[in-house]
Amino acid sequence: MKKFWKNANGRLKFGLIMTAFFLILGFVVFYIPHTNPFPNNIRSKNLAPSLEHFFGTTSQGQDIFWLLIEAIHNSLMIGFIVALLGTVVGVFVGLVAGFVGGTLDRVLMVITDTFVVIPSLPVLILMTSLMKGSNSTVILMALVLAMFAWAWPSRQIRSMALTLKERDFIHTAKFSGEGTVQIVVTEILPFALTWSLSNFMNATLSAIGSESSLAVLGLSPANLVSLGNMIQWARNYNAIMAGRWNWILPPILATVLLFVGLFMLITGYNDYMSMKRGR
Amino acid sequence: MKFWKYLGLRLLTWALTILIGVTFIFFVPRMFPSDPVEGMIGQMQARSGQMDPVAKEALRTSLRIQFGLEGSLWSQYTSFLWKGLLHFDFGPSLMSYPTPASEIITRNLPYTVGLSLTTTILAWIIGNVIGLLAGFRKNKRSSKILETIAICIYPIPYFIVALILQIVFSYVLGWFPLRATILYNGGWVAFMTSLLKASVLPAVSILLLGTGWWIISMKSLASTTAEEDFVLYARYRGLSEAKIGKSYVFRNSILTQITALAMSLGGVFNGSIMTEIIFGYPGVGTLIQDAITQSDYNMILGCITISIVAIATCTLIADLIYPFIDPRIRYS
Amino acid sequence: MRKILSLVLALALVLSLGSFAFAEEMTEVGTPRAETLIVETQTPTDVPGQFNSYMLGTQMGFGIHQLMSAHLWEIDTVKGEQFGEVAEGMPESNEDFTEHVVKIRQGIKWSDGEDLNADDVVFTFNMIMNNPGIGQSAYANTVFASVEKVDDYTVKFVTKESFPRLALRFGVTIWGNDYRIVPEHIYSQVEDVTQFKDENPVVAGPYTVKDYDPNGQWILYQLREDWQQSTLGVVTGKTEAPAAKYVLFKVLGDDTTRQMAMINNEVDVMCEVTPEILDVMTSSNDKIACWYDEFPYATSDDPCSKGLGFSIGKGAPYDSADFRWAIALAMNFDEISLGIFDGVGRASVFPIVTATSAGQELYYKPLLEWVSNFELDLGDGTTVKPFDPEYASRMAAELGIEGTDEELIEMFGVGCWKYDPEAAEKLLVKAGLEKKDDGWYFNGEPFVVNLTYLADTEAQAGRGVLAAYDQLTKFGLTCNISSESSATWDTNNGTGEYEIRGIWPTGFIVKDLYSQINGWDADLIAPMGEIGSGQGTRWNNARATEIIHEMAKVSPDSEESYELGLEFLKVAIEDMPFIGFHSGVKFVPTNSTYWTNYPCAANPYNGPWWWWSCFKYIVAEITPAA
Repeated sequence: MKKFWKNANGRLKFGLIMTAFFLILGFVVFYIPHTNPFPNNIRSKNLAPSLEHFFGTTSQGQDIFWLLIEAIHNSLMIGFIVALLGTVVGVFVGLVAGFVGGTLDRVLMVITDTFVVIPSLPVLILMTSLMKGSNSTVILMALVLAMFAWAWPSRQIRSMALTLKERDFIHTAKFSGEGTVQIVVTEILPFALTWSLSNFMNATLSAIGSESSLAVLGLSPANLVSLGNMIQWARNYNAIMAGRWNWILPPILATVLLFVGLFMLITGYNDYMSMKRGR
Repeated sequence: MKFWKYLGLRLLTWALTILIGVTFIFFVPRMFPSDPVEGMIGQMQARSGQMDPVAKEALRTSLRIQFGLEGSLWSQYTSFLWKGLLHFDFGPSLMSYPTPASEIITRNLPYTVGLSLTTTILAWIIGNVIGLLAGFRKNKRSSKILETIAICIYPIPYFIVALILQIVFSYVLGWFPLRATILYNGGWVAFMTSLLKASVLPAVSILLLGTGWWIISMKSLASTTAEEDFVLYARYRGLSEAKIGKSYVFRNSILTQITALAMSLGGVFNGSIMTEIIFGYPGVGTLIQDAITQSDYNMILGCITISIVAIATCTLIADLIYPFIDPRIRYS
Repeated sequence: MRKILSLVLALALVLSLGSFAFAEEMTEVGTPRAETLIVETQTPTDVPGQFNSYMLGTQMGFGIHQLMSAHLWEIDTVKGEQFGEVAEGMPESNEDFTEHVVKIRQGIKWSDGEDLNADDVVFTFNMIMNNPGIGQSAYANTVFASVEKVDDYTVKFVTKESFPRLALRFGVTIWGNDYRIVPEHIYSQVEDVTQFKDENPVVAGPYTVKDYDPNGQWILYQLREDWQQSTLGVVTGKTEAPAAKYVLFKVLGDDTTRQMAMINNEVDVMCEVTPEILDVMTSSNDKIACWYDEFPYATSDDPCSKGLGFSIGKGAPYDSADFRWAIALAMNFDEISLGIFDGVGRASVFPIVTATSAGQELYYKPLLEWVSNFELDLGDGTTVKPFDPEYASRMAAELGIEGTDEELIEMFGVGCWKYDPEAAEKLLVKAGLEKKDDGWYFNGEPFVVNLTYLADTEAQAGRGVLAAYDQLTKFGLTCNISSESSATWDTNNGTGEYEIRGIWPTGFIVKDLYSQINGWDADLIAPMGEIGSGQGTRWNNARATEIIHEMAKVSPDSEESYELGLEFLKVAIEDMPFIGFHSGVKFVPTNSTYWTNYPCAANPYNGPWWWWSCFKYIVAEITPAA
């Protein structure tokens, strides 16, 4: 661990610290007992920051600090679910297509290509605006976003699999009598994992981004406390123009920091890995 | 010969992806319980308070017939495939009935294409120049600063950047209109000035984030290339840094970027939606949003079909030109 | 963050050098600012350049019906009385209301100089009836046997059945009316009027189209030189021309953009804002004002009250009056008011009929005694009187408002439903629900209520649902809340695919309630899942239906019609198909930098209804700022 830290570049360190900070906010602080910040409480509205309300309250009397913590939690959850689904499905489809080949490969790739080709934002707008009646939650939102999260990874993994297939150590493994499944698990997966980790973070980032874009268009579920929705609510209740910075800035800053942190983590991690491989 | 077989297969995939994508788009909106006729009646009713029940029923029947929503799903689908996909005739727009959807799309397309194409290419050029410098002179202070700025701006969600630009330059400083107002009937000069004024902020917002991406990707490409064996060899041979930068690093890195540009040009529709909505800029993006909120099936289908064809075709082109410009890759 | 900003600043500096400003006193559409009244319109038109109101999709609210259309009868929104616009006075009907003689005003000319006379009126109605492609056609055919010319300025309408409400149906009451008179000499030359865009409209109203945006963002209107021969000139008899030579109707965009435009004086009249927006605008620009200069700022006289509707067609427990009453008593109305618009708004808690100023006088106050004594049976032998007349004084104390009882009642209404969670629990039990440790159960299943509201528009209704969600959650019901986009919303409204939602199937404008309530006729209810012509709520009340049928036959001016209206309201209160919150509360800001004398509480010559067809009568009164 110490050695890792010593070798890590500045960006990786910054990204790690930032991401860890948000993980703690979203998954540790979140579980400290607190009152549900979502329901309105009109008798304590527009309070300035104080010890009782760290960031004050909204014009609906919601505690901004806990609203933010909940938003970070939900946004990260959406990001992680989408990234997990996208990466797992992507890796699976990619590996199958790459190794089995033939007709299956062609069919899978046509489907994958279709999803690469369909413009995601209009379709997401369409889906969410049509889904609004149903009681969409974190999971449902994540499922919709995941629809577009697997295609690109599976394309990447497939081409990775295609090149790996020709490498010597695979041939060696084949000659020594290992089955395809075994080869995939023992020889290929480790390779894919490094890549998947980076893809996972990337997918998290873009899922949170898509959700907040939808929220800003007013299309994220009304009872989902997410970073995007928090910004949208603040806009709806005119916090920007009213100069209520204690309300609008926390979610904006959190989003920016989370995004920059995750992004630094990705690029830093990629640099670190390539350095480790001896470049 | 191998090329022809590759081309044939690639064209087949191209056609298939478009077909599947379009089918998906055709059926999704029809599976949900929203109905353009009810939407339209609802709007009329919202404006005028109560509507006479008998009048409402009569209106409903006449709208359904005019919109061509009678008839089975299958016959609607086949007629869409024939007319829409092959002749780009998507039928009348329901919200602008009876103007054909394709006519409205054609009217809006130049704005989206004009804005996005210019900014995408501009961002590509600026980003690549900066990225090349940053990557090639990896250890210079200036390149580190440039890269850090790019890395800090690029991941910020687009709407936040757009919002900040709008507040600062339209509201506080008042340099640009809050919402695009374009003069169509005042002659060319008035039209161009108003268009330019309306385009500045949307363009800057796209440029900021777009450039960031090209800087980052070019930088990493360039710094990888700069450490390839042939560059090291050139250094041993004592070639000047400028020469190495130009003919070794730049030439090799730019190849990847050209195909990436081709891909991203296909995606301009996707990217322009947020811009157009936030800045009130006319174009296909705002059109898609309006069409969706009003359940204008034909218009949704038209916009997204065009987008699908554009992306698929750009990907196809990128795939086909790639082996030409990079001899290391073969058709497979 | 600072880096970004400085980069942005630098970039913009460079770019701004390239852009140049227009001359100061011109509008962006090239008219002198001092002669142009700029009015906001909320949605862009999908059919720019289309001004024929009988073609599908024409967006009349984009200034078209405000400035150009000619109606037979218009409404005086202050008195709630109709007056003749194209018609000279009200129709004269025979004994059994089957023949109606309408005199046409003399002196009105179309903008191309032709006289507007009986020929135009007769042509318009026959054109509607003979063109099935016109949306209004089928209804006109069910009503009229014939529309004939008697002489140049007299028209006889013959109806198939007794039809006492000719002016109410075919003249303006709320917002506008879909039967607009067209020039015969133009429309009779057109082959298919449903496909005729009418890009250069010939109109009887005081303004004509000068220019418009092909992308549907704005329309510029110009005052007719012969405006004295327009409907406005002839009806008002004014000699002094309206000061606004041009009126620009314009889409401003999202809320942030809208208020920035208003603060920067780029618009004079705005449609509707939230109190938060008004607050920012008035504190950044002292020229911006609302209906009242001080609390409550907004007018509470918009005819649509907002509240909670039930999908009664869903069956138990929604079809139980006990259940619906339980929901009403489970909510603290004071907190709902504070949550929606900070306490602004006149309580309008009776179902279906809105407490506008006139509605409150005509229907709420006369029922006050009855409703105060009205009791609900809680099912355990006890009863409760659900009406709470203390609301106005309580809100005044909460908000620090002073005034006479009368003023407070005008401001906050005559009262609301009591907050009585205990009675609510009993009523829920009576309706068949069961309270367990972990919440409410119905038929052995955990009971969950889904609340829905329309996304993005209608802030009052949407916030009402949010507030109700809070209240019901606090009360102990398990609730979900979600929003729907318009097309889904309207479809679900019709099919009944919802449980409780924030709707506004309400109104009040003229004394006669018939047009307000005839949609609640149980005979019009379609089966669940289908969209019928009646209410989506599917309130099936035999007595209410009977009253509607009786009312159809009596004259709207008769005492009998009024009595039936009162009785209908009593039936509705007992059965509670809709829980009202407030009357339509509208924050309608105006900017007096360039123009003054907008209607306001101190000078209420008209209501602040810029989006209604009566706007032309407002424009005539608006004068330039010194």
